[in-house]
Amino acid sequence: MTERAPAPEHLLEAVLLVSARPVPTADLASATGLPPDEVEAALANLAGRYSPGTSGVVLRAAAGGYLFSTNPACSAAVERFREEARPAPLSGAAHEVLACALYLGPLTRGAVSRVRGVNSDAVVRNLLERNLLAEIGADREAPGAPALLAVTDEFLAATDAASREDFPPLDALVSQEELDRVRERLTSAEEPQTGDSQTGDSQTGDSQTGEPQVEAPGSGAT
Amino acid sequence: MTFEATGRSLADFTVELDVYSGPYEWLLALILKDELEIFEVPLRELVGLYAGSRDPEAPNALDRDTDFAGSAAALILLKSRTLSPATDPEADGEDAVAATPEELAERLQQYLKIRRAAEDLRDRFARAAGHHPSAHVVPPKPGRLRVAEDRVTLAARRTFSRLIEPPVAHLGPITVTVQELAGLIRAGLLRGPVSFEDLTRGMDRLRSAVAFAAALSLAQEGSVKLLQPEPLGALTLEPSEPSPR
Repeated sequence: MTERAPAPEHLLEAVLLVSARPVPTADLASATGLPPDEVEAALANLAGRYSPGTSGVVLRAAAGGYLFSTNPACSAAVERFREEARPAPLSGAAHEVLACALYLGPLTRGAVSRVRGVNSDAVVRNLLERNLLAEIGADREAPGAPALLAVTDEFLAATDAASREDFPPLDALVSQEELDRVRERLTSAEEPQTGDSQTGDSQTGDSQTGEPQVEAPGSGAT
Repeated sequence: MTFEATGRSLADFTVELDVYSGPYEWLLALILKDELEIFEVPLRELVGLYAGSRDPEAPNALDRDTDFAGSAAALILLKSRTLSPATDPEADGEDAVAATPEELAERLQQYLKIRRAAEDLRDRFARAAGHHPSAHVVPPKPGRLRVAEDRVTLAARRTFSRLIEPPVAHLGPITVTVQELAGLIRAGLLRGPVSFEDLTRGMDRLRSAVAFAAALSLAQEGSVKLLQPEPLGALTLEPSEPSPR
């Protein structure tokens, strides 16, 4: 009696089941001994089988690989079973630091603080502990060679992003019109002949006119 | 009028915030120790929590209100001071130079973009929060561990470097041998038992040490008995009984 060779989908299911981290396609091909195109085809089949509408387990493409996760619709049951609460959501300051590392990184703590306008060391420390940020090297040109910070694969997985290219370009997040309005406000506030106190105090925006609200840097959770 | 020590009137006040959950006093301690950034603490929400938990009929209500007002005012002061730009008169470098409106506009525009990106990230985190990955954690293979270049260099240097031989120039030529002092001991024992102290009297430390080695050697071959009644006590050497023929 001869055993039938397992189907490619079964091999991939088995490998993905035992990995808590995203597995790149090349690693899946190496582990299963399947050619890459067959891996891709099998992954496409699995994606249909493990989708939020059909299963409590979903196949996600994240951080340059694939991993099995629970369906978010079932998260309450999972958390009750594990008897653990979902980690506290990140603060506004933490999101800003991550945005700095994602779009402007790798960069030093000092550079993060300069962009945000406030010291960000405590936030960075917290993000390092949560493995969302990592020190990937040092800025040899700067005095003291401070560490360079970058986002991690855990960050990509936590944001459901396959790669950094999944995020919208930084310049696309704010329209040129909004940027011009910020510049105009600041420059016009310096002109004494305007005499408009409301304009001079308008860094926080004018909600009555529907203009964008731009808080002072670092005022994330004030 | 008498004043009594009020103690810690806010000891039982706990807060539930996004960034922290627990006793209010610990929250203050974390902020003061820089474990938690003041910007992450929503002060308005904190005041709301206190107002919601306030019991005006409590016997220490006034103490609690006073303590909370004092600590909340300190937090507001701390937050506002941290928000203000640094004004160190001795600071130099580009930060010390007053920024022009153009430079300020550049920085604010950059910050606006980061702020929008942060909002986008917040939504992404929220959408992906319900995913729980497999609980199986496979230990990394040794070959796939991250290798630090510095440590590899150091290990290679240790492996291939030649050990430095210790300097021996201060040591004089060897002028005595075990055999020579073994002969001296045998000669001394011809007159009967002899103490090691008498045997080595007048010898330098090197000769005494070699004499001890010679005595051990003779004892091992059975021609000498070593007697020492107590540990570290006087050592006496006596000739062994001649083996019966």
